[in-house]
Amino acid sequence: MTFDFVEPVVFALLSIGVIAGGVAVVMLNRITAAALLMAFTFLNMAGMFVLLGAETIAAFQVLIYVGAITVLILYGVMFTKFSDSPRALFFQRQTPLAALFVAAVAVPIVIVGTVSFTSAPPRPGGGDLPALATSVFTDFAFPFEIASVLLLAAMVGAIALTRRDDPQEAAMRRRR
Amino acid sequence: MTVPLGAYIAVSAVLFFTGCAGVLVRRNAVVILMCVELMLNAANLALVAFSRKYGSIDERGSVFVVFVFVIAAAEVAVGLGIILSAYRNRPVINVDEIHQMKG
Repeated sequence: MTFDFVEPVVFALLSIGVIAGGVAVVMLNRITAAALLMAFTFLNMAGMFVLLGAETIAAFQVLIYVGAITVLILYGVMFTKFSDSPRALFFQRQTPLAALFVAAVAVPIVIVGTVSFTSAPPRPGGGDLPALATSVFTDFAFPFEIASVLLLAAMVGAIALTRRDDPQEAAMRRRR
Repeated sequence: MTVPLGAYIAVSAVLFFTGCAGVLVRRNAVVILMCVELMLNAANLALVAFSRKYGSIDERGSVFVVFVFVIAAAEVAVGLGIILSAYRNRPVINVDEIHQMKG
């Protein structure tokens, strides 16, 4: 029995997730739900990268997009009140559901983790990481350094943009 | 690669144009930022798919994806900074009503 049918099936599920999530981000009026569905889209995209054999890129995708960018956008949603949706208390009525979901994710991870750590440790250096790292640190070393300078400039710029430069006004707003 | 390259490119194109439609249609600045992220991610999928199909020797396409990650992170940080500072001046998030800087 061959398992050739698995990859197209996984691809179909992931592409449905990616496209449905993207359409939902565009269509939904509830911004918090749209941001969380954007994270769902990014997770499905990470699955597609794994399917393509780019595991390192998938790990970066989960770390940067699902982790950092989604959290940053959720902060932006929290700081800017959008008047079209009066249902601001998005999570309040769904605590049991959320607890159930977290348990459904966490319990299998704990079980699998305790079982699989008894086996032999995996060897390093697999996947697409060696080729990627060789490219980054040989041919693309200079653009890589430029990218780090860009990140530093963006960080300083974001701080400078959102800083209150009038201390008197800031103190007045804090008292209010 | 039992899934053909065209399927990945099709998903990438659909997601890209979904994000593009969102940028054009939605008027909330934060949602526009989210849609730009969707477009960047669609481009990432196309880059990785082409890299796996044609660049079997090295990982040039994946290196460009790493750079796109960097650009996306910088873009969302600065974009949210601009949105928040504009929101602090006048509490509107609708991009049609933010026109103080229009000449």
